[in-house]
Amino acid sequence: MSSYEISKSENYLNYCSDKIRPLPVTGPDAKPLPKMTLDGQVVEFVPGDTIMQVAERAKVASRIPRYCYHPGLSIAGTCRMCTVEVEKAPKLMTACSTPATDGMVVRTRSEKVLKSRSGVVDCLLASHPLDCPVCDKAGECELQDYDYEYGPSRSSFVDEKRVFPKSSTRKLSDKIVLNMNRCVACERCVRFTDEVTKTNDLVMLNRGWKKELTVGDEDKGLYNDYQGCLSDFCPVGALTWSDFRFQKRVWFLRGNASICDRCAKGCNIEVHSEKEIIYRFVPIYNPKVNAHWICDEGRLSYKMVTNSHRVIAPLLEVAGHGPTATSWETLIPVTASLLKNSSRALLVLGTDSTMEECENLRKFFSKFVQNGEIRYFNGTGITTSSENKALDHLLRQNDKTPNTKGVESLGLKPLDVAGVNGFDTVILFRSGRAGIPSVAAAKNLILWGVWSDEEVRAQKNVRALLPGLATQEKSGTFMNCDGILQSFKKAVEHRGYGLDVTRIIEKF
Amino acid sequence: MGTINVSREYSVKEKMFLPAIIQGMIITLKRFIQGFIFHKKYTIMYPEERRNYSQRFRGMHFISVDENKVENCTACFLCETVCPAECIHIVAEERDSASNPYGVRKEKKPLSFDIEVLRCCFCGFCEEACPKDAIKLSRNYELSILSRQEGIYDLNHLKREVKGRG
Repeated sequence: MSSYEISKSENYLNYCSDKIRPLPVTGPDAKPLPKMTLDGQVVEFVPGDTIMQVAERAKVASRIPRYCYHPGLSIAGTCRMCTVEVEKAPKLMTACSTPATDGMVVRTRSEKVLKSRSGVVDCLLASHPLDCPVCDKAGECELQDYDYEYGPSRSSFVDEKRVFPKSSTRKLSDKIVLNMNRCVACERCVRFTDEVTKTNDLVMLNRGWKKELTVGDEDKGLYNDYQGCLSDFCPVGALTWSDFRFQKRVWFLRGNASICDRCAKGCNIEVHSEKEIIYRFVPIYNPKVNAHWICDEGRLSYKMVTNSHRVIAPLLEVAGHGPTATSWETLIPVTASLLKNSSRALLVLGTDSTMEECENLRKFFSKFVQNGEIRYFNGTGITTSSENKALDHLLRQNDKTPNTKGVESLGLKPLDVAGVNGFDTVILFRSGRAGIPSVAAAKNLILWGVWSDEEVRAQKNVRALLPGLATQEKSGTFMNCDGILQSFKKAVEHRGYGLDVTRIIEKF
Repeated sequence: MGTINVSREYSVKEKMFLPAIIQGMIITLKRFIQGFIFHKKYTIMYPEERRNYSQRFRGMHFISVDENKVENCTACFLCETVCPAECIHIVAEERDSASNPYGVRKEKKPLSFDIEVLRCCFCGFCEEACPKDAIKLSRNYELSILSRQEGIYDLNHLKREVKGRG
């Protein structure tokens, strides 16, 4: 079985979503593909593509600016930013909504087009507050970028700017803050709640100068589970993500691809970090898994990695003091003798371990322990992957660990009702996501992986703790709930004494 | 690694040393006569007397405040971004909306604003980058400190009502 490498390519990200991608006709009646000229370059296209999609396929999509067009949403054609010059057409045409035809000649950078774009940006900036120093979008703002590229050198307006006193800083929900003054009325957010989440909790009120974004139902507010995406695709800073608000300017952040491990879906994410501290997760386009979106729960799940109560030093039990911080050199011989002297040992793998970790631990365990058994444990409300079910029509899953299917595919058995009875030494390995089985019956308990202070204190019989790496801090492979193998690389460096499983095994 | 020999033969005059000593003593004598007999001064009586520096002199930093003594800084991080010495450290937070008469204009504020003045090279880039005219370099050149800890200017130290360029 082949696995996908998680990475981000600009062309892939910009590409139109699969549902509207027409497939070329194959078979005996297949005709040669039609051709069009794009900036002097002859490109083939599939019938049904719009000019924007042809440009994306020819990898020159960055030549056409856009506000209302988003590959994951339906085409609106309202912002007039993507206009291009089509030969023999009397006026400029919108690239996002004009279907390409055979023999069409399109120019994306002619003088007429640039003049039109300059006018569009000028009008959008007519009542934009230009508060980039305060705005969190600055640095990744499409209005900023396109104004720099296409905008006029000075505004042609002298009037007072439009201000929405009530919606200048309005909390639409706990997660999203609206600043209506910045909005360019592209309606991506309205179409998102209409088509993707199907909750219709954002609507545009009034028309023209007084056009205003508001929630569909004042009592319910904004309630969908994918609110973070609103702030991702908002081309300006109108909708901002409360958790990231004022935390960091985006140009300091470094983005590395990884996988969200908050549920069995395995959404592809980009981990944004500075100095190895994670500030946010944003989705990466993957048509087979998550398309353009991730849920809010997954987006906020970076807090487990940066949790200040996470144990990042080796712990060893000292009589009368409980688990106390120590060094690897002290810890390893004690753990080794514990395992050697146990009559019957059990290794419980959390279903958030990667395939590689499971294999390595299995080899280590069978070599090191005479009378041992290995089980897996999910602990997030389900036992095996067959009990997993989708919580909505998009991404969210019942199984809150990323690799239940993968651990099962290695031939491991779930931890049964008898639990840890009959075992005197139990090793619990997890990466912070899987639940914790009740292990009070075991004499010696060895914790391994990502644990928080509270979780360690809750266990009374902890003899040692071997700190490990969270998903974003290591590389590995997960099998998601649809059976897709996805491998990922390390996104951030671990900032503690935690080590990878292979490094710890080497020490024994 | 090879070495380059730069030693050379001394001339006769250099070997004798005496002409150089006499030359030096003449200068000393000249200054002695000028100072003691004609009272000519080469230094000023600082701190009673001050030198007049250029209007564009860049000295101690300050953050300008508005009429309500609230800092103009909105924690946009542009000075931190442009600083070549990486001596500015800002932590931003949201201004409490209840006590914010400015509304959206000043909703973001610096929680802490530290300048490591021992690292600063007084290039003035921060002043140039600031979109709110908040951080400025005054003409105050008396920056001596007694401990390294005082070399970190925090927001309380920087926030000052200064007229003109200080």
